[in-house]
Amino acid sequence: MAGSSLRSFIKDVRSAKTVAEERAIITKASAKIRTKLRDDHLPQEKRRNNIQKLLYLYVLGEKTHFGQVECINLIASDDFADKRLGYLAATLLLDGTQDLLTLLTNLLNNDLSHPNRYVVSLALTTLGFLSSSELARDLYPDVENILNRSKDPFLVKKALQCVAKLILKDATLLEVFQPLYLVSLLQNRSICTHGVLLSITKVLQSILSSYPQYQNSIKQEDSTADVSGIVTELVPMMPELLTILQNLNTKNFEPEFDIQGTSDPFLQCELLCTLRMFFQVCTSISVSRIDQYVNKFGDLLTQIATNTDGSKNCGQAILYETVRTIFSLNMEQPLRVLGINILGKFLSGKDNNSKYVGLNTLLHVVPQEPAAVQRHRKFISRCLRDPDTSIRKRALELSFAILDEANIKELVEELIEFLKKASEDDKSLIVYTVENLVTAFNVNQSVDQNWKLETLVTVLKLVGPFITAEPVSDILISINNATDSRHRNEVVRDMLKISLDKSRQDEVTEDNVGWRIATIWCIGEYGGAVLQGGQDKVVSESSLSEYLVQQQKLCDKSENKILHYILTATLKLSTHINDPGCIEALRQIVVSHTKDADLMIQTKSVQYEVIFRQPSSVKKVICEAMPKFEKKVEPEVPKNLVTLSRTKSAQQEPPDVLDLLGDDAGTSSGPAKSADSQPQSSPADLLADIFGTDGNGIIDATSNKINAPQTLQIPPESVKVHESASVDCFVRLVSCSMGIAQLELYLKSKESIQNFQTFCAVPKTQKLTLSQIHPSNSLEAGQVARQNLKITGSGKLKLRIKLDFMRHGTNDNQQFDHKFDQTL
Amino acid sequence: MAIQFILCFNKQGVVRLVRWFEVCQTDTQKTQDMIVQIYRLISSRDHKHQSNFVEFSDSTKLVYKRYAGLYFVMGVDLQDEESIYLSHIHLFVEVLDAFFGNVCELDIVFNFYKAYMVMDEMFIGGEIQEISKDHLLERLSILDRLD
Repeated sequence: MAGSSLRSFIKDVRSAKTVAEERAIITKASAKIRTKLRDDHLPQEKRRNNIQKLLYLYVLGEKTHFGQVECINLIASDDFADKRLGYLAATLLLDGTQDLLTLLTNLLNNDLSHPNRYVVSLALTTLGFLSSSELARDLYPDVENILNRSKDPFLVKKALQCVAKLILKDATLLEVFQPLYLVSLLQNRSICTHGVLLSITKVLQSILSSYPQYQNSIKQEDSTADVSGIVTELVPMMPELLTILQNLNTKNFEPEFDIQGTSDPFLQCELLCTLRMFFQVCTSISVSRIDQYVNKFGDLLTQIATNTDGSKNCGQAILYETVRTIFSLNMEQPLRVLGINILGKFLSGKDNNSKYVGLNTLLHVVPQEPAAVQRHRKFISRCLRDPDTSIRKRALELSFAILDEANIKELVEELIEFLKKASEDDKSLIVYTVENLVTAFNVNQSVDQNWKLETLVTVLKLVGPFITAEPVSDILISINNATDSRHRNEVVRDMLKISLDKSRQDEVTEDNVGWRIATIWCIGEYGGAVLQGGQDKVVSESSLSEYLVQQQKLCDKSENKILHYILTATLKLSTHINDPGCIEALRQIVVSHTKDADLMIQTKSVQYEVIFRQPSSVKKVICEAMPKFEKKVEPEVPKNLVTLSRTKSAQQEPPDVLDLLGDDAGTSSGPAKSADSQPQSSPADLLADIFGTDGNGIIDATSNKINAPQTLQIPPESVKVHESASVDCFVRLVSCSMGIAQLELYLKSKESIQNFQTFCAVPKTQKLTLSQIHPSNSLEAGQVARQNLKITGSGKLKLRIKLDFMRHGTNDNQQFDHKFDQTL
Repeated sequence: MAIQFILCFNKQGVVRLVRWFEVCQTDTQKTQDMIVQIYRLISSRDHKHQSNFVEFSDSTKLVYKRYAGLYFVMGVDLQDEESIYLSHIHLFVEVLDAFFGNVCELDIVFNFYKAYMVMDEMFIGGEIQEISKDHLLERLSILDRLD
């Protein structure tokens, strides 16, 4: 059907030497087509030709909207070639929202009952593409008509695929769908070819996935309605489907569908997926007859898992689908372990595709079988060194998902190896690692505190150039909260030695901002304590003050953040040293910024200058080292309020210290005016700044992290989402911003339950990461367990949760949904 | 649970085939920008040491493979399984190859509407409908002669 003019047009476009020339040809052609199509007297042959050219322009990404009406005209033609081109153009140029679809509906309606099977096929294909819910309702009877009348597998196959699409668009079609048709079709050997079988699985999948929605919509109108009939009527298909799958896996009887030695991977995958959904839906509405098939399916899954060769892409696809099924249906433990081992094998290979798939799946199933995943730690750690970032990223996520008290030291060693090799490109991975490391250290309280501190300092040295202020302040908080102060002072001394010793300068580069901040902060906080422990060539009063002076000189305008740290450190250090020369040098740092262009810095410098002039007894009280920093999460309160109340309570400063600061600011003259104008907030800000960032920074740094209390309590702000005789469930939204939501799920048992597992599902547009259940998955009556959930993606925040547990020695499960008001 | 789009472009990023199944977009500029992003993402990847899968957006991941100078890309839902779509791509290329007889980029350029015909016999509304190569080729040769 290619007219010669299409050919020469394509040649013209291709022969263009420059982009400009090509553009000129295209613009000219586009304008010409537009005029031609407007001409009502254009012969049909020419019309077709112009649409062909237009489609070529579409492929090139040009505007083609002006051809939309012409598609409809072509479809209306009696000529097959016209119709075919018209339908192709319609599927490419039209979209689901246009009024033209109404016109199309009539044409489709005619063509679906056309005597020519190829015309019917075109109409079906087009309907499959452009199915909107209006189209679904209007044209479903026509499609059903084909199913009832036609004995042609070619058309039945396409009609079934259309039905599958239409049901997905409009679940209420389940009201009129005849499930018995599928049952008898599966028996009918003459029609049920391979292609038809494939489309039967598609229809089943779409029925099963639309079923919950359908059920809900019916129940809203009439709460007593029972619509499970549609599913129960399909149950007789189950044995047949199982047999087909079994045959596919054992006998390699059809070379036609054999791909690289794997027998029909496409159908195997579709069958697995269909059966999985089948069991899921049947369990949720407790169809009793399903039980007899569960064991058989389990055996079949074991067989597939053992027999399939995972070295080829197709085999992998089947294994992946198998593992996914095992875990979605929460099959018996040996099968789950088998599943994990299959994935473990994926990781051990060289093929990046299988590693990617393996890690992704392991991430989803970790909560169900953590111990089995642990066994593949070696390979997970190896993926941390993979050249592919997306694999490294998943390996990191997985490493943190399996991290516990027993393996923390070895795993962290691997993570440090990873950080050593990380480069600028891995910035997001580095930040992710540091954030999670700090959280992991907070959660695993009982692990050696001294080791944690040393590790954090090592990490800081490695990643300082790449991380932002927030992870740095997290690390500072950890240093601050260290329980063994003597050990901490030693760690700090070692840090200072690296920073101060000129001969060791190459250990930490100039751009290691994180390290510089930490050093400055430590000089302020622990300079005194370190000096008391003895002075030497490297660490002395003069070297510490010299370092601050130097750092201040290094600071340019863009590094105001560091300047805040320097000012505070300067003030604090001055109270711990005796050398008048050094003290004067420090005072000069503060004085030099009392006229700074930056208001915050100026305010701070002026206030500090005032403190500098106080007698040392007063100064010492103000400049004491920070007390232990308690992290509290109060997300609902407006930010600035939290800053004030939190810092005050966290500091536990005697009230007179605050008063003193306030009075001073009030009575001093000149530049202090700016401080005077905000006497309420400035002292608190000032103290907040001692922590390194401005007030908001502290909230950001703390809001995602929660200290793990020894016995869990349900926070008062959490919402009860489920209640039953054996367990209550609460959810708390910790944070929700920038496409990431952090949630905590609390489960309070009312009786003794074991083997507790949660299965959560989120909408398609979102991704869910589940942590392990804390403290354990066995609960006594009244005990509380917690699980952290992280949801990334977009859309409404919704959860479907299934609880699975042993109670009095029997399995029990409960399922419920919860919708949040928030949107990601 | 379906293919969102199928894309085919050459090493220079010139599109040869494009078919949107779910995201039917009216805004040409937006679609073009998306294609450019996909091209940049994929062409920058190392084909020996990186997987054939990459996450593209909050709702889409890409499964792709390069055959000679042409990239074949499928956009699929995030929770879909990647490996099977790679098999889809391979089957599609095999059928193209058999249909055109040792297919090359120029075959697809000049006979793009036939390539669409092959695509539409294999995929309907983003779902695979026929797997048997023999079946497909037989059907396609009949359709090809129907002019």
